[in-house]
Amino acid sequence: MKNRLDFLKTVSLKGAWNSNYKKCSILAACFFLSSCDSFVEVDVPSSQLTGEAVFEDIGTANAAMAGLYAKMRNNGILTGNATGISCYLGLYADEFDYYQQNAVSNFYNNTLFAAEPGVSDIWNQSYNQIYAANAIIEGLSNSTVLPEAGKNQLRGEALFVRALLHFYLLNLYGDIPYINTTDYVQNSTVSRMPTNTVYGFVVNDLNEAISLLPENYVSAERTVPNQSTAYALLARVYLYMGSYPEAANTASTVINNPLYTWETDLDKIFLKESTTTIWQFMPEANGTNTAEGDLYIFAAGPPAIVGLKPSFVDAFETNDQRKLHWTTAVTDGTTTWYYASKYKQESSTGSSVEYSIVFRLAEQYLIRAEARARQDDLIGAKEDVNAIRTTAGLPNTIATTATEIIADILNQRRFELFTEFGQRFFDLKRTAKLDQTLSGSKPGWNTTDGFWPLPALELSANPNLNPQNPGY
Amino acid sequence: MNNFSLNKGWLVLCYSLILGLCLCHSPSFAQNVPLSTTSKQQVTGTITDGTSPLTGVSISVKGQQNTVVSDFDGKFTIAVSSNDILIFTYMGFKTLAIPVAGRSTINIKMQEDATALQEVKINAGYYSVKESERTGSIAKITSKDIEKQPVTNVLATMQGRMAGVDITQDGGTPGGGFQIKIRGLNSLRENGNEPLYIIDGVPYSSESVGYSNITSGMPTPTSPLNSINPSDIESIEVLKDADATAIYGSRGANGVVLITTKKGQAGKTKTTVSASSGVGKVTKMLDLMDTQQYLEMRRQGFVNDGITTYPDSAYDINGTWDQNRYTDWQKELLGGTAVINNLQTSISGGSALTQYLLSGTYRTETTVLPGDFEYDKGAVHFSMNHFSEDKKFKLLFSSGYTVQDNLQAATDLTRTSRNLAPNAPALYDANGNLNFENGTFQNPLAALRGITTAKTNDGMANTVLTYQIIPNLELKANLGFTDLKNSEQRILPSTMYDPIYQLGSDNSLLYSNLTMRQSWIVEPQLRWTHNFETSKIDVLIGGTAQQQRSSRLYQLGIGFSSNSLIHDMASATTKYIFASDETIYKYQAFFGRINYNWNQKYILNLTGRRDGSSRFGPGKQFATFGAVGAAWLFSNENFLKDSPVLSFGKLRASYGSSGNDQIGDYQFLNTYASSGLNYQGMIGLEPTRLYNPDFSWETSRKFEAAIETGFLKDRIFFTAAWYRNKSSNQLVGIPLPGTTGFSAINANLDATVQNSGVEFTLRTVNFDSKGSKWSTNFNISVSRNKLISFPGLEGSTYSNRYVIGESTSIVKVYHYTGVNPQTGLYEVEDVNGDGIITSLGDKKTIADLTPKYFGGLQNQFQYKNWQLDFLFQFVKQQNYDYSPNVPGGSPINQYSDMVNAWQQWGDIKPFQMNTSGQNGDAVNAYYNYVDSDATIVDGSYIRLKNISLSYDLPLQILKGVNCKLSLQGQNVLTFTPYKGGDPEFKYTGYLQPLRVYTAGVQLTF
Repeated sequence: MKNRLDFLKTVSLKGAWNSNYKKCSILAACFFLSSCDSFVEVDVPSSQLTGEAVFEDIGTANAAMAGLYAKMRNNGILTGNATGISCYLGLYADEFDYYQQNAVSNFYNNTLFAAEPGVSDIWNQSYNQIYAANAIIEGLSNSTVLPEAGKNQLRGEALFVRALLHFYLLNLYGDIPYINTTDYVQNSTVSRMPTNTVYGFVVNDLNEAISLLPENYVSAERTVPNQSTAYALLARVYLYMGSYPEAANTASTVINNPLYTWETDLDKIFLKESTTTIWQFMPEANGTNTAEGDLYIFAAGPPAIVGLKPSFVDAFETNDQRKLHWTTAVTDGTTTWYYASKYKQESSTGSSVEYSIVFRLAEQYLIRAEARARQDDLIGAKEDVNAIRTTAGLPNTIATTATEIIADILNQRRFELFTEFGQRFFDLKRTAKLDQTLSGSKPGWNTTDGFWPLPALELSANPNLNPQNPGY
Repeated sequence: MNNFSLNKGWLVLCYSLILGLCLCHSPSFAQNVPLSTTSKQQVTGTITDGTSPLTGVSISVKGQQNTVVSDFDGKFTIAVSSNDILIFTYMGFKTLAIPVAGRSTINIKMQEDATALQEVKINAGYYSVKESERTGSIAKITSKDIEKQPVTNVLATMQGRMAGVDITQDGGTPGGGFQIKIRGLNSLRENGNEPLYIIDGVPYSSESVGYSNITSGMPTPTSPLNSINPSDIESIEVLKDADATAIYGSRGANGVVLITTKKGQAGKTKTTVSASSGVGKVTKMLDLMDTQQYLEMRRQGFVNDGITTYPDSAYDINGTWDQNRYTDWQKELLGGTAVINNLQTSISGGSALTQYLLSGTYRTETTVLPGDFEYDKGAVHFSMNHFSEDKKFKLLFSSGYTVQDNLQAATDLTRTSRNLAPNAPALYDANGNLNFENGTFQNPLAALRGITTAKTNDGMANTVLTYQIIPNLELKANLGFTDLKNSEQRILPSTMYDPIYQLGSDNSLLYSNLTMRQSWIVEPQLRWTHNFETSKIDVLIGGTAQQQRSSRLYQLGIGFSSNSLIHDMASATTKYIFASDETIYKYQAFFGRINYNWNQKYILNLTGRRDGSSRFGPGKQFATFGAVGAAWLFSNENFLKDSPVLSFGKLRASYGSSGNDQIGDYQFLNTYASSGLNYQGMIGLEPTRLYNPDFSWETSRKFEAAIETGFLKDRIFFTAAWYRNKSSNQLVGIPLPGTTGFSAINANLDATVQNSGVEFTLRTVNFDSKGSKWSTNFNISVSRNKLISFPGLEGSTYSNRYVIGESTSIVKVYHYTGVNPQTGLYEVEDVNGDGIITSLGDKKTIADLTPKYFGGLQNQFQYKNWQLDFLFQFVKQQNYDYSPNVPGGSPINQYSDMVNAWQQWGDIKPFQMNTSGQNGDAVNAYYNYVDSDATIVDGSYIRLKNISLSYDLPLQILKGVNCKLSLQGQNVLTFTPYKGGDPEFKYTGYLQPLRVYTAGVQLTF
């Protein structure tokens, strides 16, 4: 208002003009009067909603959660394309060879360094997704209008996602900060937390998620996590923590759930209707299939980016049907290349037939088998591992001691879960077999490579995250 | 929340129209001045400069309104009484007063006025000042400089010609952008250092209109500045100090670029047609390994890694590819010739009261890449001036419309041309099809099937209405409108890929973006001048209301039934809309200026502005800026007035503030926006940013002192300026660790950046005698950028980027100590001695990438009909060496001197051992080396930026036709120690500025 008066004062001081021109100046002054302070205020643009408004409507709250799933499907740890950990860890361990021309993969060569873009992308995108989860959790708590059921469901999902991402970060980077707020002031000075503390938070979040999530799927196609999905992750977490009784019990909860029935046809396990699927990502559009299929499958060699290591394919036990059904050989007459063909669709189909599966039943059997074996429940362990072996067309295990059984279980994990979100790498890591296994096949392997480096920019932006992991 | 709707915006326009109408209307009241008709006679004559006729000389009768101008042949006719006195005025010539004394024919020879340069009016935006009376720091180039350069971007025309203005071309792809820094970087925010552009009084947003994902062949998204047609520009003024920029308030901190378009001149209708054609080539290739050297390096890499069997994918050395082939890929892929054609016509003319100019330009440019890539630009410019007969009312209208159509490769092959193995297979097979060598060769030409098209239409119009209410009181309204539409597409057809992958058109991609940007501005102003006995005062007050509305529609389409439908988004099987939004920027201001000139000796200039911007949250929208400038023309003091040596002398100084609001719109809001990604049939919402409602202006306080002196009738003219700008309350996206979920948050930092420097210009007329002239212009700018305070730097996320007392363009790097003869690895200094190399502990060497000094040396020779003009541009700076970003031994070509790599224990070599990539220590050592001072090298250069030779062809047969032939060259010669290609670049790995030669002809009749 003050400027307005100042302006008029100056104008009127300039007297000495006749009435005709006064008219103009009055008009000019009007124009400023009508606007002034309010003129430079703008509304929220039509393409955006305020943070509060999003959580005043269940539709937009659901859209916020959908946005998070879409992000996880397309970017960061869980994406099936060449920038997710299925690809990175497949190269980093001993599943993939790298064929991209005119390029060098530091993952494949085990020559990561702190400024490696892939390493910082995974870090940043994961925490960005964690932020989105926290924003949903906080938005829901502040919302007074949303129905309780909807609120619980969404809170459960967001807690599950937060736990899931932290679980992977922990296993990739070692001790990491557990982020459970959107407050950037707090989050910008966080320190690393001991592994056990992080696992503690993960377990807490999962337990709360289990209490909030419904037993049945809210979506027809198992594309939104339900209670069992949280159990499935919890079982894996307990296994990694070495809490074997809990791991076995939690896996049993999933295995015993009638929603999931065993599938013996290897070609049906990765279809979107598969009854062994616990949680899968819905593709972007109907007709689109998985990013994994797009990345792995090639019609003629050499592969564009990655191909299965021939040594991996050769290592399948004789008669293992998974070699026949889940890997495919491509040859030009002289050279033979292989790709993972769990997913059969390289590109779009009339309507989608395969979704990217994040959790599936077979892993729960293998978790329980291992957890049982490690508690010396050898009969139970054999029963579970034989379920896997039978479907693969293999005879029952001949292992007798716990050590032998565990070795067979880990071997089954290798051939059952290959190219699925770095299971192979994490298994070698948690069983301390990285050096022994990879030193031979990977010339670039160093004993410090078990952990990825923390991104260089991250350390300089937040020195509290020091020290860097050894070897970088 | 105040609801500002479209309606209200129109209301503002209506007001301004009413205001305009009032002004338009008013002359009719005042037109009834009776014309004196008593005892008039006609006087005719011809005006020359001694050799050729002068067109456009204005001839008036002393004490009367009556004015005519000389025509194309220098002829004039005017009605006078026999004892009238005729006044002849012409820019750059001495004004003559000739009594009619009863004559009916008066032939006049006018003399060039050596000191007239001081009379030239300099555009300062809201006002103009005589060069001699200006108190601010303003650099200027005119159409004379611009037309000598075969360039298409307005910023290119300024390179090397203006002190304190540092311009770097982004790349050599037509339609690409430029970087401009006026007196250094004030803001810590990387994209917060753009100056304000004003075209004929209308602010022109330089914010990029495209998406980098679409113009992927260029380092930066499409810049709207390409819409400005250099040949329509009459002059460019760059405002630098507080005195000149404070009147632009919140947007003046980084300087203001004022562009004035050409206007018509009175006289006979003049038509100009000019056409030119030329060629462009890459200036400099890298010296890379040949096949022999390359294969040796590769083999060594495997030997060093202890690998005896070459992997399947090592096609270059495992026998898959012919090891005797050699291709110079740089020549093959970038060695082409770009063809440039330019056609321009203009018609201008008019009477003493009304003048017009209409011009059209058409330009095409191809590229050096193999393939049919072309940049087309067409521009129309129209301008009209009209005075009422009593000269009280003045209307000035100018408008321009530019159409650009750019079709470029979606991939820049520069990096590929440097990376490809020299024994990589042939591009075409025996049948003339692209060769993929059985799936082992990613044919670079296939990548060129992915293309980017950008169509930009840009219109702007500006009307200035001026009415003199009473003598010395003038009411003015500046009304402007801009309308830009940029439609870009990037297509990635399935045919880009090796057919072996059997990818069909269902894998083809189409990215498209449509950006629309419209703005209007209304600026009523009132100006009062008064001449006292020995002094004069000039007062200006005004207001601004401006609104800019931008919208974007950014989409991706995947899968087409046929690749022939790939340009049609509707035909895509799957479509994503990533952005569909509209942003509104509103801006309002009041400004004023008081200029007091005492006896042509002492000048005081006060300017101020109160600004409001919608880019800030409630309570933070308004701020005030102001400056004081003063000048002392000591050459007008009695003791120097008649000095035979000193013809001009002025001391000037200024102090004041201006601001910066380049933060983007709506940044203070906490919002969710559509991510465009579908999940379960629902389009996801995502948090847009970490938000901070409290950020506000960034302020620059600028101080400048300068001396301007002319000697020997200004044949030697020297200026020196010293400035010191302090920018505080830094408005930045404070970088945050990824754990916050985002990379930055907008906030004001209590940090101060100081830019200081000196600028010298020297203009000499070395020789000037009958028909021949040699003059020289020299400018040099020495600048220093320094972070002078930053409380809490140590604990902040900037602690590893900045150092107090150092430039803000520093990089902290390792100190390279050499190749260890024992291990054969690059070593960098372990500064903190902890036994390991960490970026935090050991990157302690500071390398400053700010140019130390830069400038230009221009010489102009004129001999009879010949004119030669050349400009050397020089920059002293450090820059990044070219780096392939993988260690030697990888399947990527390297500098040829890397044959000198360490091989065995005890070798003293400049390069470390080769590795196939499997030796983690060698790879790590390499990346430390890349991050060390070893890769920051001397990037200085001196280049013959521009050369222009023209000849006025005497045409005896065609009377009244002027024909000028010209040869022009750009980036003709470059002297530099830099090895990594052309030394002018901002981003590595992109096509660099080309060397261009053109030949042209211009006809005027």
